[in-house]
Amino acid sequence: MILFQPNLEETDVVEATVSTVDTSISIFLWIAIIELLIILFLIWKLAKAANGSQRSDAIKQNLKNAKDSKVNMGDLMDSINGARDLYKELSRKCHPDLFINTDKQLIAQDLFQEISKNKRDYKKLTELKERAVLDLKVNFK
Amino acid sequence: MWHKIIEIKEWFGDVAERYKLLRDFNMAAKMSFISGVSPTLLEAKITKGDPTYKHAFSKWRAGGFRIKALSGQPLSKSELIEIGRVVLDNETLTRKMISLGWDTLEVHSNQGHNGAKWALKEYANIGGFLS
Repeated sequence: MILFQPNLEETDVVEATVSTVDTSISIFLWIAIIELLIILFLIWKLAKAANGSQRSDAIKQNLKNAKDSKVNMGDLMDSINGARDLYKELSRKCHPDLFINTDKQLIAQDLFQEISKNKRDYKKLTELKERAVLDLKVNFK
Repeated sequence: MWHKIIEIKEWFGDVAERYKLLRDFNMAAKMSFISGVSPTLLEAKITKGDPTYKHAFSKWRAGGFRIKALSGQPLSKSELIEIGRVVLDNETLTRKMISLGWDTLEVHSNQGHNGAKWALKEYANIGGFLS
């Protein structure tokens, strides 16, 4: 019994070492698989970008113009807050039916179309209101 | 090599431009509320957006442009929709938002979970290349 004791311990140690090596191999294997997946993903992205670069110059220019365009946020806020009421007022007072069989009927029709087209643009509606005062002699109080 | 550097520069430029747009919106909303023109204080921020609305230029997990009522008068559903429609009717702004990587417009009320959302690509009229 005593003679076999050291051998048994050695066997345990060897087994322990082997199991450590197995774990490390499996970790490296997983790292390699993940790296491979990342490389494949990057290759796929490059291929996709190459396809995307074939897009026409006109579209790219269109996009660049959109990026560089200026938006007046003050006008946007005015439109959010005031366009609805102003549109209601204008559409009520400048309706073409109010000018039927008069010399202003055509002007009223044209103006009403413009009002309907710009119903959520406060700045344009304000301009149209001035036009209504001048051309149709509408009284806004 | 150079085109990669230019791409990286453009990416950072886009990020700066996105935050500039948000800052301008929030500043205009604040000024409008302070001056009494607007009864509700609005705030815009970036959210994840709706993945089903994504397009060729969508930013990953940052495609949502959320306008939220912060305080003041609570907004009704029709008012929420009206705010969204005003933004969408502004074609320049919609195109700019798409080109800067936003794909979803969300408008939320200050009370509860009421809100509305739209896919920006349906309102840009840029062409078929977005799908």
